Formats: sequence, C-alpha cells, structure tokens
Amino acid sequence: MTQKLLDLSGIGKDRLHFAWVSSAEAQRFVDVVNETTASIKAMGALDAERFALNLEASELTVSGETIRWLVGKEVSITTKGDVYGRSWNEEKYETVLHSELEREYQKNLIYLAIREGASSVRDISAKIDVDLLRVSYLLADLERTNLVEFTGMQDSKPVFAAL
Amino acid sequence: MAEFEPKIVAFLCNWCAYAGADLAGVSRLQYPANMRTVRVMCSGRVDPVFIVKAFREGCDGVLVSG
Repeated sequence: MTQKLLDLSGIGKDRLHFAWVSSAEAQRFVDVVNETTASIKAMGALDAERFALNLEASELTVSGETIRWLVGKEVSITTKGDVYGRSWNEEKYETVLHSELEREYQKNLIYLAIREGASSVRDISAKIDVDLLRVSYLLADLERTNLVEFTGMQDSKPVFAAL
Repeated sequence: MAEFEPKIVAFLCNWCAYAGADLAGVSRLQYPANMRTVRVMCSGRVDPVFIVKAFREGCDGVLVSG
C-alpha cells in the first residue's frame, strides 16, 4: 500500500524495501543491506524539496481516516464481507484500495495547493498536474467535507480557499 | 565530487533483523555504513506514516526488515 502511494507521489516504490531476515542470518542481513544500498545509490538522492508537497500529501493520506480504516479492515472485509453483507475478493479489495488511495492523495494535494496560494481550478490543476475535470470533481468533495470553501468569483473564475 | 552516499533509514525488528545485524557485527561481516537503524519491537509496529516521515526528513531510501 505504501509502495503504491510512493508511486503515486512520484517518489517511486523502489525507494522502499522490505526484507525478511531471521536473527541467525547475519550473512543474509549483510546481503540485504548491500542490495538496498546499491539500488538506492543507483537511483541517486531524493530531492525532498521538489517533492515536499507530494510528501506532505502522502503523509496526510496515510494518516487520514479513510485509508486507515480500509487497510485495518482488509482481513475482515475479504473474509467475512462488509457491513452490507457483500463479499469482496482480494482483487476487488485491491482495486478499491488503489482508487481510494489515489483519490485521497489527490484530494490532499488539492488542499495543500490551495493552502499554498493556488485558488482557481486552473491554477490548482497546473500546480499539481492533475487534469481539470478531476480537480473540480474532487473540489466538490472537499467542499462537502468542509476542508475547502468557495469564496466567490474573480474575473469570472471561481476562487477557493482552504479552511 | 565524492561518490553519492545515500541515507537509508532501516526499521529493524528487535527479534529478527536487529539480532541479525547484531550477529553480523559480532561475526565482523562488513556492510555499508549508509544505514540509520531504528529498532522496533516488531516490524508490524512500523506505520506507513513513519516511512513517509523518513522521506520528508530527507532520507533517500527506507528498509523495513523483520
């Protein structure tokens, strides 16, 4: 899940490694460390400045309620079904998780972009590189949850503010 | 310019990988010094927030090992 999110935010899932090493396997640990270091070295330094907004949006996403509930409920949803009695297979769960992740991430990006001073849909879209239609769709969502406010028109463009 | 040395944060489980790292030290196996180790009591303790936070604080890679 976190690797997917890192891919979404442009950091790339390859910067995050997972490995299982038992306490008796010193040699294996050394191999894993060597491998990880080599692959990160090959990728070069991460420009945290450039990705500041993306990283902040990612952090908001993984600390947000929607994703935490969805991930926490994975086993119960895929084995026992949801509260409406529908059963989900793992594939469907993964699809939903992925689209929710994308949605939450983009919503957080929009929120941050507005906070940084972008106000019209066009500005926001240009700043975060998400297409216009998607931005306005998600803005309506953010407005409903009282994270963003419509403050009026300026040069016949709607203007938004972060709350 | 000197060769790029990445900063890598490693979350190691106390009972598995951390003990493995300890053993690697005791048996004098050489490994790169790019790792900044964080010992956790279980790799399940590692929250995605920690990982994103590590990137935000300026590390280049994260390893979670249990």
